[in-house]
Amino acid sequence: MGTLRKRGRVWLAVSGAVGLALVLFAGPGAAPAAAPTYPARPVDMVVAFAPGGGADVTARLVATYLSKKWGQPINVVNRPGGGGILGTHEVLAARPDGYTLMMDNHAVNAMLAASQTDLPFKWDERTPIARVTFDPVFYCVKFDAPWQSLKEVVAHIKANPKTLRWGTAHAGGISTFAITQFFAAAGVDLAQTNRVIFPGGAPTLTALAGGHVDFAGQQWSEVRGLVAGKKIRALAVVLPQRVKEFPDVPTAREAGFPELDVVGWQGVTGPPGLPAEVVERWDEAIRGAAADPAFLEQAAKIGKVIAYLGPQDFRKFMFAEYDKYLPLAIKMGLRK
Amino acid sequence: LETFSLLAGGFAGALSPQNLLFALVGSVLGTLVGVLPGIGPTSGIAILLPLTAFLPPTPAIIMLAAIYYGAMYGGSTTAILVNIPGEVASVVTTLDGYQMARQGRAGQALAIAAISSFVAGTVSLVGLTFFAPPLADVALAIGPPEYTGLVILALAVVVSLCGRSLRKGLASALLGALIAMVGLDPQSGRRRFTFGVPQLIGGVDFISVIIGLYAIAEVMTNVHTAVTKVSAVPLGRLFPTLRDLGACVGTMVRCTLVGFGLGLLPGCTPGAISFLSYDIERRVSRAGSKFGTGAIQGVAGPEGANNAATSGGFVPLLALGIPSTPALAVLLSGLMIYGLQPGPLLMEQQPAFVWAVIASMYVGNVMLLILNLPLVGLWARLVMVPYPVLGPLILVFSVLGAFSVRNSTFDVWVALAFGLLGYVMRVLDFSATPLVLTLILTPILENSLRQSLSMSAGDVRIFLERPVALGLASLGVVLTAVSLYARRRPGAGATGAPRQEGS
Repeated sequence: MGTLRKRGRVWLAVSGAVGLALVLFAGPGAAPAAAPTYPARPVDMVVAFAPGGGADVTARLVATYLSKKWGQPINVVNRPGGGGILGTHEVLAARPDGYTLMMDNHAVNAMLAASQTDLPFKWDERTPIARVTFDPVFYCVKFDAPWQSLKEVVAHIKANPKTLRWGTAHAGGISTFAITQFFAAAGVDLAQTNRVIFPGGAPTLTALAGGHVDFAGQQWSEVRGLVAGKKIRALAVVLPQRVKEFPDVPTAREAGFPELDVVGWQGVTGPPGLPAEVVERWDEAIRGAAADPAFLEQAAKIGKVIAYLGPQDFRKFMFAEYDKYLPLAIKMGLRK
Repeated sequence: LETFSLLAGGFAGALSPQNLLFALVGSVLGTLVGVLPGIGPTSGIAILLPLTAFLPPTPAIIMLAAIYYGAMYGGSTTAILVNIPGEVASVVTTLDGYQMARQGRAGQALAIAAISSFVAGTVSLVGLTFFAPPLADVALAIGPPEYTGLVILALAVVVSLCGRSLRKGLASALLGALIAMVGLDPQSGRRRFTFGVPQLIGGVDFISVIIGLYAIAEVMTNVHTAVTKVSAVPLGRLFPTLRDLGACVGTMVRCTLVGFGLGLLPGCTPGAISFLSYDIERRVSRAGSKFGTGAIQGVAGPEGANNAATSGGFVPLLALGIPSTPALAVLLSGLMIYGLQPGPLLMEQQPAFVWAVIASMYVGNVMLLILNLPLVGLWARLVMVPYPVLGPLILVFSVLGAFSVRNSTFDVWVALAFGLLGYVMRVLDFSATPLVLTLILTPILENSLRQSLSMSAGDVRIFLERPVALGLASLGVVLTAVSLYARRRPGAGATGAPRQEGS
């Protein structure tokens, strides 16, 4: 990884002339000319979260698929910490040779940039390659809760201020954005609800299923087991169309809230100034995967909707995301 | 009765040559991962996850699960032999295990750890087999206020772990709480105590702290005191006497109940549970006054409890799809890769798979016992290895371990810094155990307390309205008071300590 290599260099330089010579040799040697033979050696795909999360699962899906196709290992490297800031920082500081990329996602991309002004990196300098998947938000209640629709939840809050407890994963997580947007659309004052923050999607949904909170908005990959097992009930999904797995769950538009559009996504990005050849090679491979039935089937198994976008559209999407989340972050008092 | 036929079907699956092989591979890898400090079950499972692309689901998950519970067997080995816990859940095992090793009883300590692990792990599997869905609903009923009460109860343990000086012990505990605060505030997402260092945004990694305080500090202390071998006395008998085993029966029953019961709760890690079990044994067992000086119950209790907790952790995992530890979260993603949707329907829709995995855990525990008992003699000889050879090896594995957790060189520096701190603490006679305990408990307490208050819009009466929470917290306060009183009683000089602790 980039910082490692750099730190290694510092050490060598300190150890004297021999070390310096080594670095000079290692420099050009470690970065082979990319174009036709890329990837000529294993590629690190960094995930800024611990194994098992949404970005991690998509990363492993893509890595397995492309390792087979290219005959070069794509290694998923987990660099968790600081809500994804550490791993992202590392990738954006890495050598732009195409051998350190990341499985980016909504959380460490525009959402982070909208809520934190003092990030150790410039978020918009990353090189977008291709958006791969969506992991849509489902608004959920406990299975035996009295509310049958989003409208009924809103009516309940308005009639009983300061009683509805909603659970969310992380202060600045996607569920916080999704619920803040929903409340804004419904004309509910955030101060009239009780926000309970959990350290992840699983504990949030555990609390919902146990009745310790009343309402949550988590992603498909997180809620599907408990929804199917009738521990929690989904009231709406934020996606243009219904999800095949849950044909009875209406879209947000059908539920009367067409303005809701907070979406979880995963996509491949890299350090600033990535060579065009690398971007093209990856984009082409992901576009191919997105049309491959075997890949689609695997993606559906892990609770993801294929949402391929090429480099140009992906960049536009990133900035549109930022514009969408900035006012929400300010509304939540999150931005600093 | 239906359960019996399902379980029988599961055994038929688990005993197929292929599945047996993968259970064995997982058990061996798990033991290894457990023995090596730093490389824990989470990294072990994550490293092998890509293999799932080549294996059918049942053998793959059998192997990954075996790594998880196998690690709990291995974690005690280095804790006992060289005072270095291989896993978080074995930190408390060092207190009596290492003392036993220094008295030439390393073999007995290792053997009782394996036996207790086997008994508690297997009995807990019976609970998993027959009562998983109803128990999972109990786990759901435990919310933030109850966790708050539970942590207050667990904090009562701090006083017991303080060593000779209460004040020094409390200082160590406070330092642990402070270190736990570094990083992102879990509720607001704001940075705190990061001092502008980007790597500190991720907090101080737990494993690095343990590697520093235990492994590196231990090597430094031994160099300082020119130790030539861990055990000054020749190695005594390798296996515990029948009398010793008999003395541990009550311990095994209690640690099974505590370990399995708390292991069901997704917010309780095996690390915290092993501390609780140790404290219960210290208070309840007849050898309680000898704890800290090489009491065999002090090894049997926590080691059994952490294995019972791993079996318990499979209850919410299989019955609800909720992982209670980071390692189980990785296992869960393995299920998802296979399209085995984790959740309440998993046991219904994939009975062949679920029951084969459960049955394989019985098989795996037997394998681990058979594997570990003969190894006792071999491992125990480690204490006779000249320290100039052993010490540097420990350092190498420490650095590797610290790096491997997050693939981060920063964590290696953190481990070295805590090595220095641990050394100074030893010289000044501060116990490191309270620090580790509060490091585990503080994040749980902070989150659950603030979540409870968010639930009630800031009204503290929420704790009075939830009887379980109130009961647990009250018990914690009473136990703390009892411990404080007990410390004062022997001898009028208040600083005199009732018991000693491993250096």
